[in-house]
This record gives sequence, C-alpha cells and structure tokens, in this order.
Amino acid sequence: MAELTYRQAVAEGIAQEMERDPLVFLLGEDVADAGGAFKATVGLLERFGPERVRDTPISEEAIVGAAMGAAMTGLRPIAEIMFSDFLATCWDLIANQIAKTRYMTNGQISLPLVIRTANGAGSRFGAQHSQSLESWAMAVPGLKVVAPATPADAKGLLAGAIREPDPVIVFEHKSLYASKGEVPEGEHVEELGRALVRRAGEDVTIVALAAMVPRALDAAERLREEGVDAEVIDVRSLVPLDMSTIASSVAKTSRMFTVEENPRLCGWGAEIASIVAEGLFDDLDGPIVRITTPHVPLPAADELEDATVPSVERIVRAVLAAIG
Amino acid sequence: MSGALNRALYDALAEDPRVLVFGEDVGRSGGVFRVTDGLQAEYGEARVFDTPISEAGIAGAAVGLCFAGWRPVVEMQFDAFSYPAMEQVVDHVAKMRMRVRGRVDLSITLRIPAFGGIKGKEHHGESPETYYAHTAGLKVVAPSSALDAYRLLRQAIADPDPVIVLEPKARYWSKESGELANDGPGIGDARVLRDGETVTLVAYGAMVTRVLDAAAVLAEEAITARVVDLRSLSPLDDGVLERCARETGRVVVVHEAPRSVGLGAEVAARIMELAFDHLQAPVARVTGWDTPYPPASLEPLYLPSVERICDAARKVVAY
Repeated sequence: MAELTYRQAVAEGIAQEMERDPLVFLLGEDVADAGGAFKATVGLLERFGPERVRDTPISEEAIVGAAMGAAMTGLRPIAEIMFSDFLATCWDLIANQIAKTRYMTNGQISLPLVIRTANGAGSRFGAQHSQSLESWAMAVPGLKVVAPATPADAKGLLAGAIREPDPVIVFEHKSLYASKGEVPEGEHVEELGRALVRRAGEDVTIVALAAMVPRALDAAERLREEGVDAEVIDVRSLVPLDMSTIASSVAKTSRMFTVEENPRLCGWGAEIASIVAEGLFDDLDGPIVRITTPHVPLPAADELEDATVPSVERIVRAVLAAIG
Repeated sequence: MSGALNRALYDALAEDPRVLVFGEDVGRSGGVFRVTDGLQAEYGEARVFDTPISEAGIAGAAVGLCFAGWRPVVEMQFDAFSYPAMEQVVDHVAKMRMRVRGRVDLSITLRIPAFGGIKGKEHHGESPETYYAHTAGLKVVAPSSALDAYRLLRQAIADPDPVIVLEPKARYWSKESGELANDGPGIGDARVLRDGETVTLVAYGAMVTRVLDAAAVLAEEAITARVVDLRSLSPLDDGVLERCARETGRVVVVHEAPRSVGLGAEVAARIMELAFDHLQAPVARVTGWDTPYPPASLEPLYLPSVERICDAARKVVAY
C-alpha cells in the first residue's frame, strides 16, 4: 500500500492502463502541458508524450466527438471534461450518439471510451461549476456510471472503466482531489457494479456516494455516541447498480437513508429507494429517507453552499428524527 | 391538441405584445406538427420567426431577450434535439433568475414535442423529462389533453420562471371539446381524472389515455382505479399524491421514459415518504425499458401497454 492523494491516484490509474495497453490515450482541455485543471494528470505528458496525452481546444463537443470516433476505430480514449457541468455542452453527443451507437448498429460497433469529469460542490464555484450530475448519466440507457469516494477507487474504478467495452462516465469529486488514502501498489483494477460496506452496523443503513461517503462515515461515528449503530454503504457504481449489497444491508437493519449531493427530484436515491421499497416492503420499519441538496441552483457563498449540501450534522439529525 | 396549442400561442401573442415565438420552421412553414400554423401571417415576421438549425442559439437568444423585457416562446423540434441546447437550458435558462437575484424574469417557455408513440425511432421518441425535472430552476409540465394543453401553455407563458412544456406527440391529433380556459388547475397541480378506491394509477402525457383505458378494463374486474394526471412534473403535487396514496393504499406509476431514475422513481420514493403507514403494497412502476428508444416495429413492446398497466395494478391489489 502507498498513501496517495485522490488526484495522484487518478493519474496512476491512467498511467497503469496506458502502460498496459498502447491503444489507451488521454485528451481534454489542459490535461497535457498543465497537468489538468485539478492536477489529476500531472506527469502523463512527460511519460507518454504528446501523441497519447493531448491538449484540445475548448470544445467539449469536439473532445467527446473525437473520443467517439477514436473508439470506433479501435482506440480506447479517455476524454476529460473539466467540470461535469460542461457535460451539458456535449449532451447531444453523449446521450444521442455515444450511448446509442452500440444499440443502433445492432452491436456491430462498441465504444470503449471513458469520460472523466470533475463533479460536485465544496469549492465555492457557484451554480455552473458545482453541480452533481451523476443522476443524469444514470438515466441514459447505454452508459455506465461510477463515482469513486477514495483514492484507491479513483485508481481502481478508473482502470476498470478503461477496460470496459462500453462507454463509462467517471465522476471524480472536486472536493476529494486533495484527500489521501491507501492505494494498493502494483496493478489495481476494480470491477464496476459492486457497492462496498464501508462501515458495518446493525441499526440503520446509510447509502452514500462520492464525497457524501466520508460525511456518512463521520455521521456514523456521531450516531454511535447517540447509541445508533449505522452501516454505511458506498454505492461506487450507479450503472451497473449493486442492489444485492444494499438489499442485504436493509434486510438486516430495516431502515435506509440515502445521502445525495444532487438536487432531490429524480436523484439516484429515488431509484434505489424505489427498488428497495419494492423488494423489501415488509422488512422496512419506516419510510426510506432521502437526505439531499434541496432543489435549488447551488449558491457560491461559503455559508450558503454549506447550508445546501448535506452536512454531517444534517445526516445525524435526519437519522435520529426518523428512528426517534 | 395541436389546434389548442396553436390557439394558446395565438391568444398569448394577442394579449401580450412582449410575447415572441421562434424556432426551427415555426414561422413560414407553421411547424412540423402544425402548432404554429398561421401565427406568422397574423403577427408578422418580427414576432414569429424562423431560426437557423441551432438549438443552443435558440435557447441562448431567449435568455438574452428576457433581459430586454421580452417573453420568448421557443420550440425545440424534437425531444432529443433539445440536448444540443442542454448547456444553455441548464446553466443559463434555469439559473439566471437566481444569479441576478430575481431582478430579471426568465419568462421563457420552451416547447418540446416529446415522448414516443409515433414510430419516430431513437432521437424522435425520447422522454427527456428526468434531465429537466432534476434541474433546479426549471418548471416542467406535460399535458395529456387538448384543453389542458391550452391551459398549461398559457400558464407557462405567463409564468416568470422558465417552463419546459413537453407536448406528447402521440396526442397532437387527439380531440376534446369544451371551453378554452387559462384558469383552473395551475402549474404544480395534479388532477384526478377518474375516481376509484382500490388503486391509484399515476401518469402524465400520452400515458394518461392508456391509464384511463386500463382503468376501464380493471373496472370489469371489480378493481376501481383512481387516475391521477400529474400534469406538472416539477414541481410535483405532493398534496394529491399523498391524499390518493392514503385513500387507496396502493399506487402504480406509469411512464414511457426508461425506468432508471425516471419520474416513477421520484413519485414512488415521495409517496413512501408521505404515506408510508398507509401503503398496503409497494408502489409499482410500469415504464419504458432501460434501452435507447427502439425502432418502429418494437415500439409496442417498449411503451407501457394497457395489459402491462393492468397486470401491475392486479399485482399491487393482490399484494
């Protein structure tokens, strides 16, 4: 094990796969010379050269369009969209073209491409640079979607995504780039579609994603002081979705909470809550509670941003209120 | 319905000189679905005009026009072609009113012929409502009948916030008689279209007709189904959902969109939050599949059928 930051782990994951497979290459705005706006691709240009680590003009459509064409010819591109908010500028290519190609060609053309993007709030970047858009991607048939919460997953899930035969969007979290954690040395690849129990507990199940995972874990520690033993599940992969890990936990605890950074309406928590309620209706001791950012555009001011995104305090209060 | 929408635009243009109508082929040709037929001849090329094929340009122009005091009503020709305008819609249309602290009304009505049922294949049969409903700052409505289409479009144009109007293509040629009215249920209000005690069927857009057909079939089996037309997808009408869930204890949500994170997930999760102790069975979802919209020959298998809706209702009743 080595201790790495989340951003170093991203770069390691890319390097590991570029080393292994000469078809893998990276493109995006400022990913080469500058090492990435969030410094998650530092050192790759020096190591792999400008043919395989390519700066592009500021045109998200061109970036993912080029990635799509490259994937069609057999390459395995990793395209970076600097902020997930900018996925909107290339949504036509993502939702209309990339996600549908395999289906529309009757399986003749697959697109083994990865779109990496910096998602989420916590950096005071305002309404147009802080959104959590993973639920959009989850709603598009034909895309796989992961969102790592730890440096180990930033490397492992990214490597797993690069090896997928289908398009995968990797939502890296802006506020986690500086976080540190143990990352396995040597080759590290995680399979998509597996949730992880990050903390075992008996009383309630808290389901979280990306930056909400450390908050849920902190909340679980606070809840322990209140006599509540919380199990914390890191979803990790929204598509494919590992319902069996979540369902096993809820079957044990009979109470479920989601912690979502995205706006409430049509967030991923609604989908998981609906599936759990359908399968475990008689096991539930109370309604599934969704702890989300309220349905507002994210404010830029420190105090207001902190007031919108679920905090440790809000998670603790919501759990205590529901089981009280 | 296309005639009722046409009248809504005609009347809005007549009543408010700030209203503008523009988009691809809406002027000279009168729109691919005839919704803007005759408007340019009546109100001139300055207020009803054709644009180049650039959805981002259309939505962006609408934002700018709001700053100059206009009330733009714009058309995206098909559901999936609203995606090229996604950034304008999500980052500017939806957020500008908050960013200027309410000092400018973003009174934009974005009309989108939506959903399937006309053998339109991928890109022409999509249900994009999840993206828009998930975006804070937008209101989203989907009428199911001609008279309500008139009402919702007039209300959308009068609203100070941006409203996405998802017009069900499959219902454009449906007819309904009655008085055209702006008042009555507003944006944010659902409507109970048929009363029943055993189960509540929730739908919107073109699926409302199908759910009413299913209710008629179920009635023969002594299952009385209450039918709720959501009309407004954002905001949702918690009051009606909660009351119906409490009173019938069993709910089926129906939509054309793929299952994953569709409105059905939201409605199901919400009903559980609002009426958990009153539910006799888990909320069932009858939806499109998690695949791209299929070619014409597979459309009947993709869209929720009366039979699939009835099966789901029977299951929740027997639960």
